[in-house]
Amino acid sequence: MGEGSIHLAKEIIPVKFAALEKLLDLARANSLWPMTFGLACCAIEMMSSAMSRFDLDRFGAGVFRATPRQADLMIVTGTVTKKMSPVLVTLYEQMPSPKWVIAMGNCAISGGPFLFEDQYNVIEGVDLLVPVDVYVPGCPPRPEGLLEGVLKLEEKITGSRRFITPEVDW
Amino acid sequence: MSNPIDKLGVIDGLEITETDYRTRGYHYCLGATAGNILLVVQVFDDYGFYLEDLTCVDREERLELVYFFFHYEERRRFKVALALDPAKPSCPSISDVYRNAYFLEREVCEFFGVFFTGHRNLTYLFLHDAIDYYPLRRDYPLRKDRVAVPEAEKARLNSFAVTEADDAFFVNMGPQHPSTHGVLRVIIKMDGEYILEAEPVLGYLHRMHEKMGENRTYQQFLPNTGRMDYLGAISFNLGYVTAVEKLMGIAPPPRAEYIRIITTELNRISSHLLWVGAYLADLGALTPFLFVFDDREQILDILEAVTGSRLTYCYFRFGGLPEDVDETFTEKTKRFVDRMRSERFSLYENLITGNPIFISRTKNVGVVTRESARKHGVTGPVLRSSGLPFDIRKVEPYSLYEGLSFDIPVGQGGGALDMYRIRIREMEMSLRIIEQAIAALPAGPVMAEKVPKKIKPPAGDVYHTVESPRGELGVYIVSDETERPYRMHWRVPSYFNLMTFPESARGILLADAVAVLGSLDLVIPEIDR
Amino acid sequence: MELTALVEIFGRELLGVIVGLIGVLAFVVLNALFLTWLERKVAGHMQRRIGPKEVGPFGLIQPLADTLKLLGKELLTPHDVARPLYYLAPTLIFVPVLVSFIVIPFDRHLQVKDINAGILVVLAFSSLSVLSILLAGWGSNNKYALIGAIRSVAQNIAYEIPLLLSLLPIIMMTNSFSLKAIVEAQAGLWFLALQPVAFLLFFIAAVAETNRTPFDLPEAESELVAGFHTEYTGMRFALFFLAEYTNIVIVCAIATCFFLGGYQGPLLPGWMWFLAKTYLLVFVIIWFRWTFPRVRFDQLLNFAWKIMIPVAFVNIIVTGGLLKL
Repeated sequence: MGEGSIHLAKEIIPVKFAALEKLLDLARANSLWPMTFGLACCAIEMMSSAMSRFDLDRFGAGVFRATPRQADLMIVTGTVTKKMSPVLVTLYEQMPSPKWVIAMGNCAISGGPFLFEDQYNVIEGVDLLVPVDVYVPGCPPRPEGLLEGVLKLEEKITGSRRFITPEVDW
Repeated sequence: MSNPIDKLGVIDGLEITETDYRTRGYHYCLGATAGNILLVVQVFDDYGFYLEDLTCVDREERLELVYFFFHYEERRRFKVALALDPAKPSCPSISDVYRNAYFLEREVCEFFGVFFTGHRNLTYLFLHDAIDYYPLRRDYPLRKDRVAVPEAEKARLNSFAVTEADDAFFVNMGPQHPSTHGVLRVIIKMDGEYILEAEPVLGYLHRMHEKMGENRTYQQFLPNTGRMDYLGAISFNLGYVTAVEKLMGIAPPPRAEYIRIITTELNRISSHLLWVGAYLADLGALTPFLFVFDDREQILDILEAVTGSRLTYCYFRFGGLPEDVDETFTEKTKRFVDRMRSERFSLYENLITGNPIFISRTKNVGVVTRESARKHGVTGPVLRSSGLPFDIRKVEPYSLYEGLSFDIPVGQGGGALDMYRIRIREMEMSLRIIEQAIAALPAGPVMAEKVPKKIKPPAGDVYHTVESPRGELGVYIVSDETERPYRMHWRVPSYFNLMTFPESARGILLADAVAVLGSLDLVIPEIDR
Repeated sequence: MELTALVEIFGRELLGVIVGLIGVLAFVVLNALFLTWLERKVAGHMQRRIGPKEVGPFGLIQPLADTLKLLGKELLTPHDVARPLYYLAPTLIFVPVLVSFIVIPFDRHLQVKDINAGILVVLAFSSLSVLSILLAGWGSNNKYALIGAIRSVAQNIAYEIPLLLSLLPIIMMTNSFSLKAIVEAQAGLWFLALQPVAFLLFFIAAVAETNRTPFDLPEAESELVAGFHTEYTGMRFALFFLAEYTNIVIVCAIATCFFLGGYQGPLLPGWMWFLAKTYLLVFVIIWFRWTFPRVRFDQLLNFAWKIMIPVAFVNIIVTGGLLKL
């Protein structure tokens, strides 16, 4: 709703709202709250990336919300089975827009190692179900991979790349 | 005392053959029929055996139900084979005797189309309603005319239907829920905060491992083992390679065996650590989660250097290891052992073990009694919390565990609190094992000589067990002398531990249900396979 | 209309209240922003990580980014919710916390209005928040939300009693309900020294009243996903969050007034002392959250009814006896 009204307004007063939208995009990119949604092996690496060594929270993306209603980002961490697919779509639809999806790991990208002729239970890529913004390959990807994926998503939202300041204190 | 062979001998029409335990992994093979299976099972029940596994092998001309019985105190394994007509497979249900058969028979029913008469709820457990054929039958996918689910049986496809129209209050926990650790779904019927009934629905992560086992070569299947139980991946690696080695009679060199033990135990520690963190997060304390990940990362650093991956390891090969380890591996491992002993255990002691809220939340919660454990085939720390020192590493030693000295920590039936203590003590034991293994690490090759390029085990089957962090892992492989297994079946410990949940959840609070579910240490991909 | 005319019509006092309310509103928002940052930063450091750091210096802009983002989020209204209740709840939860600030003395002269029944105003209005939690849970058409709301009502009713009872001895000692008078009475000695038991009772009850760990049952994440606000999105959810953090400050401010001598302190100006003491208590509450597991529902109620309330009564009787002597 919020975004829609801004788009509408943009046609009337383009300049002012372009600035507002830019500000909103900046805020959104810096506050990507992921949903607590683990599917398989990659979920452990997703947890790892929120933990002490990798600390996703540095970029404001460490607030894992258990309810899809309060999440901005769905990280699909693992194999999506046919039995799971309606659940996944429901979860995606329950998230308020603007929302993003990261397909983490080969399973979420294409079915990964669980593809074989005549397989009967694996969705061959989560992008068949929901639109995916960033693909993070690996089996499972390292936490650095997911961090890069989040940064890539930020770049996609704001249009400019974030470079991390390498200080360690604070 | 617990040899039921005399009692079994008097049952009509039961063929008893003694088998070679060293290559088969079981002592006796019994050829039962649908007519006498209930008698046979009753004998095993009387002698205190537990139903270790129940699966099916499609031999094309017949469907063969395979039951495995094992004993908690003695090393004596029985295989019961039961041939069925594939056109109309039907067999009496044993779920009244062994409660885990309630789930196992449902699994066999959906994958093979075997019907169990007398089963109270023979509905689908893993599969969903779009699959209208039996996936593990041999004619799928080889032939186009798959064995379709008969029209009359389609009603079973819906694995859970709310039948009661009264004002019962149903809560769906999962498949996306913070405390089901993945995609487990539990349907809970509640009365206020109290649980009346709980029914797990599985299969949200069924990744067809057993089917893949049949259409990949032995080597090609290796990476799959690490993806079944991603927390104890190396234990699964070990279970698989030792099973095939047993079948082929390959003995890996001692250096390889010791390195296997070190890495397996490191992996066990990392798995238990993650459990501690996740369990405390279930109880509402989030900080321990990050502390254990700190330790876990140290282990991952060590393992990554030798295995090449952080989580889903694929390290062992048939006959040994692909690469030798160097000095840095042992050095880093020693440093890790010191670190855990000198600072980390006392930290957990202060942060968690002494916390009165933690104790009041876990003490006597989710108690699994010995009888209930036996009826469900529970193993691992959950079983040991009832006071039974059952650990495959001691009961049925594999690799070189026989020569290492370690204790099996047991509880006094104190439920989740005991399970927590057991897992902490087990980590200490693993450190002890690692130390001994490093001290005993000999020089030499890490790969057995004369391992064929193409693995074609001799015809026959093998049942092999190892102790995974969650309990007894069983691998059942049927070989037909080709380079692909004819049938591969995995007995996964979390699955059996989960089976106790409906029983222990009855009448407890929702908050306790979360504590119970967490204490079982479930890994969903392992259950769903 | 000229200002003088306004003053004539509404009276100096009412205008003061309005100006004060605006100030309070600003404080509430700033405080919530600061506390979310503090919470994440403290949590980070307790957990051997850094916490927000990339967004602004030390991550200080982080809460602003979160707020802006939440403002720009779609306001989803789920199917089949009880619309009036669903819409009303987030607004309603915010009103009482605002009113409570009127009577809190930040400094000797920095107080919107000194009402002689001050503490009663705070307690009366803070009980209103449970109503909005109930509305949210009931209106959301979600089972987790409903269970969370029911838990919340039982919990708040149980802990409101020891909350008030633990303050009674101090009211008996000072013969006043006015927060300012109570603070003034502690010029020499803080009541913490005279009433340590009451302080403990109050603080525990306060943690429970604000639904914080170890008493965060209404929104217990591992059991109820997000509890009563499971179905709320965007700014509606943010209002719940805002109210939660403001509530924390209110109870800590009350504790400061009653037990830690309020704005009294040497050298520094009074409001600085007041804020320092308040935020120290806030820090302790955050510390709790990142250390303790959650108690169980029955344990929570048992603790309130069987331990805290009897102890509070004994404390009142002992205090009364000592006062008579």
